[in-house]
Amino acid sequence: MSISTAPAKGPAVATPPSPPGRRARRRPGHAREWWFGALLVLPAVALAVTFKVVPLVRGVITSFESSSGFGDSSFAGLDNYTRMFDDPVVLASFRNALLVVATLPVWVVFPLVLAVLIHQRAPGWKFFRAVYFIPYTIAPIVVGIMFRQILAPDGPINAGLRAIGLEPLAIEWLNGQNSALFSLVAVALWSFFGLGVMTYLAGLATIPDEVMEAAYLDGAGFWRRLFSVVVPMLRPTVAYWSVLCASGVLIWLFPLIYALTQGGPGNATMLPEYLVFLTTFQFLDRGYGSAIGIALFVFVAVLSIFSVRHMFTEGTRKPR
Amino acid sequence: MFRRRLAGVLAAGVAAATVLAGCGGDGAGSDGPVTLKVLTWEPGGTEYWQAVKTTFEASHPDIKLDMQAVPFDKYPEVQGPYITSQSGPDVMANNAGLELFDRRGAYVPLGEKAAEINKDLVTYSGACEGFDTSKECYGVPFSYQGNVLYYNKDVLTAAGLDPEKPPATWDEFGAACDAVTKSGKTCLALGLSGTFPAYWDFPEIARNYLTEDDIRGLLAGTLSWTDPKLVQTLEKLAEITTKGWTNKNAPSITMLPDGADIFQRGDAAFAGTIISDAVNWDAFGKALGDDKLGVTRWPAINPSAPLAQKFSGIEGAVYGVTKWSEKKEAGLEFITWLAGKENGELWVKHAKGQPLNTTVDPSLLPSSPAFKKIQELVADPTLHAGVMLSGPEADALARGWQQVTLGQLTVDKWAEQMQQALERSPTKQQGR
Repeated sequence: MSISTAPAKGPAVATPPSPPGRRARRRPGHAREWWFGALLVLPAVALAVTFKVVPLVRGVITSFESSSGFGDSSFAGLDNYTRMFDDPVVLASFRNALLVVATLPVWVVFPLVLAVLIHQRAPGWKFFRAVYFIPYTIAPIVVGIMFRQILAPDGPINAGLRAIGLEPLAIEWLNGQNSALFSLVAVALWSFFGLGVMTYLAGLATIPDEVMEAAYLDGAGFWRRLFSVVVPMLRPTVAYWSVLCASGVLIWLFPLIYALTQGGPGNATMLPEYLVFLTTFQFLDRGYGSAIGIALFVFVAVLSIFSVRHMFTEGTRKPR
Repeated sequence: MFRRRLAGVLAAGVAAATVLAGCGGDGAGSDGPVTLKVLTWEPGGTEYWQAVKTTFEASHPDIKLDMQAVPFDKYPEVQGPYITSQSGPDVMANNAGLELFDRRGAYVPLGEKAAEINKDLVTYSGACEGFDTSKECYGVPFSYQGNVLYYNKDVLTAAGLDPEKPPATWDEFGAACDAVTKSGKTCLALGLSGTFPAYWDFPEIARNYLTEDDIRGLLAGTLSWTDPKLVQTLEKLAEITTKGWTNKNAPSITMLPDGADIFQRGDAAFAGTIISDAVNWDAFGKALGDDKLGVTRWPAINPSAPLAQKFSGIEGAVYGVTKWSEKKEAGLEFITWLAGKENGELWVKHAKGQPLNTTVDPSLLPSSPAFKKIQELVADPTLHAGVMLSGPEADALARGWQQVTLGQLTVDKWAEQMQQALERSPTKQQGR
């Protein structure tokens, strides 16, 4: 069985091009349409400018200023940006950000596998479909407070590990230089993966059952079906979720860091977004905080641009 | 001509109405009472602040209080955006000392009124620049705050120690910790996240090495963190955790509430906290029983050092009127009342705290043994080194201590990081 994705045939007789006179007569109508379209778009543009562009421009301006406490500020040129290269805390935060970004494949693949299992109605799929989404409905700050207890040296995770004879694995999760960051990412993944499962399930619903059935009848196993059928057909959804995760892991984690580690121990879980907050509101260094924020913006933009471009290409590619 | 006259009359009428509205000042007048928005972390607890609201409003029918209560550890994050945007509450609180000094741009200077408002207080220098009442003051304190070491008598007894003779020197403290640890309990309940280590632990060690001039140097940013006195202070702080005297998860928890919980549950022998507001003798007495709770000065490392036997004291929360408030008169009236006798007595009665007002009726003071002991300790105060630290220094102190505890940093590197934090501090850059 095969499914044709060829475009429907067009009319047998090509429509001749409009004569210049007729095109000229259409102009007033086109203009009206254009103005009407512009009018419809205007509220969205106004909102975007007011709430996105203006704050961003103000942030950029502030990043070139030097402030003392909450007092007046003065022009500082590029000082705030050059200062970042000598600041070990800033460098540590961006190094941590890269480590977090390196976990992206897990963020993308893990929910996909679960979504496919649910989609294929694996035993208990109804139960898991509901359960997986529950963590996403818990406020991240609450998740952080919860996991601070769960991951404590004498908390339930370590108690469980000791009970089943895995004493060496019962480490101080939030105290280690690497384990703290790993724990933070794991908690974040626990909190957000349900959204990924839902996103993929929505994408999977667009794949015709016949395709999956055909693959099954052709003898394709679970992983074969996943990588040879599901992933190619879900490419736009995967790209969308990847973009969301790529930016999300760098700008969604604030409440978790705040409740779980406050960037510690030392700077082990310090990420740029938390540093922006610390620098601006606790150290009262607004100019420097804004500069770090702009650096983070560029970092996220660079990271996302490839995925967005890929998504755009996928979305605008004409079917063959 | 008539039109022009009419326009003139109307314009005059509008102007007069505007002036009259302006004379109403705080918006009071025929529209009803003025509502003051007060940002507070509720030092002393909700019950005390409820009493403040009820009592103040009863005696000031023209002013209503709208309290915005924020937890202490979240307070800077809520207050920061208000100050940055120069909008929000009419009255706000800050800790006395550098925290207030850092944010002085948000408050109306009290000028000559400061001396009059604060005339009955033991001290109010923490509300003024450089702890100097001859300089500009930005608010009003009403409580006295400072650090002591609480201990659980039952835990000491179980460890074979005399609960009536708590350790007075560093060596005695080490021996006591060894005994407590052997008995299966934590010696010192501690949390190293946030600003608590800077405010509650650092000053108690620093007193053994610094003079009052040094502490003023800390405030001005002229005392280097690589100075041997401060390096020795950091070394002793490190000793507390590296010798295993604390709970294992100290690097990843905060002292409030996590560290204090360990002590309140009866799982630790000692907890270094404060005399007023939260986690004081009253809260611990309720959790452990007044008769089980002891209080002492932190053990002396150099008993002969000039400040070793002193009390690190500081005015508690300072309330000031914000520069952007349109109800400054009413705000001033409220903070003046806060410094008065009536509020001093509410503070004692409901918050069980140490009042600053000297006219408070002594018969109202609590009868708890711990409170009585605190009266002895506070009688010989010195400057509080913790409140002299800037935001970056307080943050670096906690992070460095975490790393030293986990073996990720040496004390010398920690001192270097502290110096970098000092150099990053906008306020101290200005002071130098």
